[in-house]
Amino acid sequence: MADQTKRTMTLNLTEAEMSVLEELSAQKELSKTALIRQALRLFQLVDARLARGEKILFEDEKKKAKAELVFL
Amino acid sequence: MRIPVEIKDNSTGELVQAHLFDAITVEHFTETHEEWRPIVRAAASKLAASTTAANIDIPGHFHWDWRRKEGQLNLLAIHFYGIEHLGKLQGMMKLESVGHVCRLPAQQGKPLIYIDYFEVAPWNVKQIMAPLGKPTKYSSVGTRLFEAAVRLSIEEGFKGRVALHSLSASERFYLEVCKMTPVGRDSGKQNLLWCEFTPEQAQNFIKD
Repeated sequence: MADQTKRTMTLNLTEAEMSVLEELSAQKELSKTALIRQALRLFQLVDARLARGEKILFEDEKKKAKAELVFL
Repeated sequence: MRIPVEIKDNSTGELVQAHLFDAITVEHFTETHEEWRPIVRAAASKLAASTTAANIDIPGHFHWDWRRKEGQLNLLAIHFYGIEHLGKLQGMMKLESVGHVCRLPAQQGKPLIYIDYFEVAPWNVKQIMAPLGKPTKYSSVGTRLFEAAVRLSIEEGFKGRVALHSLSASERFYLEVCKMTPVGRDSGKQNLLWCEFTPEQAQNFIKD
């Protein structure tokens, strides 16, 4: 990514959303901004792979079960 | 981003100014294919034919093709960096900022920067040029790239945590020069050695 100029935006979250954001930030030792940026990157990456025809699967080794995650 | 970095010109022993940059394009991938890969392949063939060279000496990246990564150039989770000097690419790496977490017990599950591909131009690698009977051109290109990975980790809020799967021929560089911690062989990744950096190791590396 060549252009590193940062732009600012206001993000309005519900109490529940904010508390998840705070919980995940603490768990991952990341700032809230860093966590949101991570989420955006992951979303774009997953979206690009789905667009290529790939699937996202969750596997439970104990139950020998696989479930496909349907994405937006 | 384009910043000056110092590398050593081995013909004079002097430090020279190169540039670290992240505006990697498909033309850089083509440059590696046309200018680097034939030299790496020639060295690998020579070593494979030699009766004295060990398997570990044969460069494990003779088949790499950076051009296959063109589709990843616009992804936010993927970061490419290169080092250029006198109009020639001297090294390049691909980093991933999502999808990998720490495995060392002390920092298990924490986010990190994963070094997916890391390559120094063959004319700067002793293990490649020696079998071809030629001297290397520049030193410290790998170290400057590795520093950039650590700095990205710090910028991203990952505190310098970095990890990679090392090819056999590169283990000495990551363990002895970068002083990464060997965590274990990964059976899910060709049994390559998973090496990791803690925030403390990252700080020491940047200081040095």
